[in-house]
Amino acid sequence: MHGLPRRVASAILVGLIALSVLFPLAWMAIAGFKGRNEAVRSVFQFFPDVWRFENYAAILSDGPFLKALLVTFLGALVFTAASLTVNTFAAYAFARLDFRGKRFWWLFCITTMFIPGMAVLLTSFLVVAQLGMLNTFAVLVIPGAASAAQMFFFRQFYLGFPMAIEDAALLDGATRWQILLRVFLPQSYAPLVVMGLASYLAYWNAYVWPILTISDPNLVQIMQLLGNFRSERGTDWALLMAGSTIAALPTVLLLLIFQRFIVNGVRIAGLK
Amino acid sequence: MPLAQQQVLEAAVIARGRKRKRKLREDVPKHLRANRTGYLLIAPMVIILAVFVIWPLLNSFYMSAFEISFYKEPKFVGLQFYLYVLTSAEFWKSIGVGLYYAVLVVPTGMLLALFIATFIKSLSKRAASFLKVTVYLPAVVSSVIASQLFIFIYQDHGVANWLLSLINSGPINWLNDPTTALPSVALPGIWLGFGITTLIMLAGLLDIPDSYYESAQLDGAGYFQRMFYITIPLLKNVLLYLLVTGFTLAIQMLDLPLLMTGGGPLGSTTTPNLYIFNAFRDRTPYATSYSLTASLLLFVVIGAVSLLLFRLIRSDKAVDA
Amino acid sequence: MQKKHSRMMLAAAGIVVAALATTGCATGAAPADSGEKVTVTFWQQQMEDFQQEWYKKNVDAYNASQDKIEVKLEVVPADVWPQKLATAQASGTAPDITTINYGKIGEGVPNGEYLALDEVLPAASLDDLKPNIREFVTIDGKAYAYPVNVEASKLLYYRTDLVKAAGLDPNSPPKTWDDLIVWAKALTQGNVQGIAEAANATDLAWSTWGLQWNACDHTAIDDDWAEGLATDPCFQELANFYRTLYQDNLMPQSPKTGYSDPAPYINGEVAMMDNGSWAFASLKADAPDVLANTAVAAFPSMSGAPSETTATLGGWALAIDSKTKYAQQAGDFVNWLAADGTERMVDYFTISNFARFTARTSVEEALKGVKGADDPIVQTISNDVVSFAKHEPAYPFDISMAIGTAIETAMKTDTDLGAAFQTADDSINDVIAKQSLAGANPFK
Repeated sequence: MHGLPRRVASAILVGLIALSVLFPLAWMAIAGFKGRNEAVRSVFQFFPDVWRFENYAAILSDGPFLKALLVTFLGALVFTAASLTVNTFAAYAFARLDFRGKRFWWLFCITTMFIPGMAVLLTSFLVVAQLGMLNTFAVLVIPGAASAAQMFFFRQFYLGFPMAIEDAALLDGATRWQILLRVFLPQSYAPLVVMGLASYLAYWNAYVWPILTISDPNLVQIMQLLGNFRSERGTDWALLMAGSTIAALPTVLLLLIFQRFIVNGVRIAGLK
Repeated sequence: MPLAQQQVLEAAVIARGRKRKRKLREDVPKHLRANRTGYLLIAPMVIILAVFVIWPLLNSFYMSAFEISFYKEPKFVGLQFYLYVLTSAEFWKSIGVGLYYAVLVVPTGMLLALFIATFIKSLSKRAASFLKVTVYLPAVVSSVIASQLFIFIYQDHGVANWLLSLINSGPINWLNDPTTALPSVALPGIWLGFGITTLIMLAGLLDIPDSYYESAQLDGAGYFQRMFYITIPLLKNVLLYLLVTGFTLAIQMLDLPLLMTGGGPLGSTTTPNLYIFNAFRDRTPYATSYSLTASLLLFVVIGAVSLLLFRLIRSDKAVDA
Repeated sequence: MQKKHSRMMLAAAGIVVAALATTGCATGAAPADSGEKVTVTFWQQQMEDFQQEWYKKNVDAYNASQDKIEVKLEVVPADVWPQKLATAQASGTAPDITTINYGKIGEGVPNGEYLALDEVLPAASLDDLKPNIREFVTIDGKAYAYPVNVEASKLLYYRTDLVKAAGLDPNSPPKTWDDLIVWAKALTQGNVQGIAEAANATDLAWSTWGLQWNACDHTAIDDDWAEGLATDPCFQELANFYRTLYQDNLMPQSPKTGYSDPAPYINGEVAMMDNGSWAFASLKADAPDVLANTAVAAFPSMSGAPSETTATLGGWALAIDSKTKYAQQAGDFVNWLAADGTERMVDYFTISNFARFTARTSVEEALKGVKGADDPIVQTISNDVVSFAKHEPAYPFDISMAIGTAIETAMKTDTDLGAAFQTADDSINDVIAKQSLAGANPFK
């Protein structure tokens, strides 16, 4: 039933969801226009007393900030491509192929899902230091590219693919690679986009690892830089909010572009 | 719903499951065994994990048997730190806090995500696009900003208490009362994570053919019946995945309690990672070894609980290769 | 099939090669005596903006003034400082020089982390230090860090206008804890609360050190570090004081910012503030109008007797890594920056609005003529507080946390105080046993 009451109810629900989600974000963006201590004033006030543009102006004209934004954005794209590749390849192998020692390698990978970062922070730093990877692009991209959780997700997805098409392709003499690249991947837009966004955000929001491994100003990541806005003795919240709002923009843009891939009809036609 | 239709539906679900069951390892014909391709495909992942995760893990276990110092000879102490951590009431309390936090965040987040994803699926293309972007936006905000935003919402004269005053309820000391502190921290946790959960649910939902829902509706199945008999069973793999990864991430939460409450009041928001983080503050050899050992024991706890979750949901395709 | 495989392998190999190529070759570090240019790394823990500016300005000046030593400055946020330093130490890439808090010296020196400065600094530089502060950095007769500043950790700031409006006399601030409670009650009206105070265990742990000295003449453990003293009833009186402030709603129940952040006071949400001397600098820089209505006094003591300790002296110094390859060069920079001549330090204290105090006698003399140093608030802090403040405890923070937790318990629950401090004492004795602290006090 698609009558008017239903449309109205839908619209209201959409509005409520959007409001509860966007309200804090809007507050963050508006706070950038406030004065330093005004942003944390107790009696809650959404709009500033006086609209100040100096915070946003300062951020937009700050060379290192913009450079960090660009560097992080490019790094995030490379990282996303790398991690999707590594994880989908392994997922396909575990879902569809059979090889000696498969169960051992599966457990090997899955166990890493449960390791808290702190347990290996020091020792993995030792590894990258010994490999000479400190202060390089590689140290930000390679260690995190393999994600057992992501691989697990793709594997579950691939397990659900019907065997029929594959059997037919194999009988036609297609190789495993061709099946992966021509059949599985094109049918995986939704999971690829969702996991791609997850990888992108994981890289984007990384704070501790870049601080530990990067001191070269040309490689500084955006969250590292924003960390410098905070201090125990008093943070300039308005400036931090302005910086965070601008830092969020590239990601929002990506979202807008890629969300349309999460749509119906991506699967091979159902049951036979 | 009439019995006959219910049976047809269940048969359809089983048939679908049977398709997956068909490919157990014993059934794979020889010509599909592909050792070299298999190894090549998993090689990048295995190599990266071996070098940057597994080897450091083994090294960490080795180091935890010493009083770690970078300036003096490390002193071998065997399992002494394990004993110290396991007999520490605060360590176990933090595990309890972590589990409680996970229980607050994961089921709630998944339920919310399921309802919202179902809702989005029913919307027109434009509305759906709008919501898909909107629900994901919180994830774009770093946890530092999210913490600060919610601190303001919870402060004495903040939005939360203002909303309460509308229904004539007294102001609550959200972050400073030991009973309300952790739930208050859980809310931004849910807010930050539910975007990706919703999108994953949505991807899974879009996988379910509409024909199921249509035939169920023709038989008069209501919203909850459709949810229960069609959606949830067919989403089982997705749900298991979200449950396990959700739990793993939730119990490792560090930023939110660190920034919002510092672990208080009275340790009621000290999650395991925060406990470890604080234990490391002094940087003495004792503190270094102790916090490393505690994080290794946390690994054991997470692994054990995740294994339990796997067994509980009994998804045979999840554990076996 | 073969082609696909080899293509993939080439790609994989290519990625690995590219990764390794971007790492670059590690250039050999110049030997210390060769006369070649030497690079010395210096990590500064992030503090207020003006501190970063001062360090950067002087590092640049030093580098420009000679071509034998280049100092590389890196600013590190406080929240990741322990991890970053530990990982650097573990991998042999620890910085040559770091800023260090006085409290950390007692932990780092027994672990062998820091270089004794007596060999790399001229004796005159060390002799210039005020004797009580020189003790902060001296263990077994050797100095292990060179002080940059000292700060008083606890002061009472109050709004003279609000005080007058409440019928109190701004010229006679509260002297005892009971007096303070009277003032806080009178000043809590409408949306304004009496005083901004520490409200969580961590903040309470370190901000009450001075009051612990005041009430008990000792802190949580004895001088030998052999047993806990938390069951001494004086701690319960301290806890009662905080309990009253919190449970009578005289302080914000849900603080929005950390205890050291003066924003609530600046925004007029509280009439008084318990904060360190650094807050004065923030007031001067960000809220001069509020400062015009502000007076400062020593924080009230339990008994009210004059010249009692209620604050500890914290602050920052510079330390050199014991494993440094460039001890002489690092020492040269430290000396140039903090010990040699008075212009740089006078500049430092000037731009910090005199809210920090010097550890050097010569600088103190030089500051006497400087405009702004004679500010009555600065004088009050210097004369009434800094002179009586005690050293920060050097024992592990877990012990301070035990006391902080007990006080927090007092504030937020109705638990019997005897029981709360018994728990704290058990905790402390447990730490002493596990960390083998008996006899380990390096300052004894």
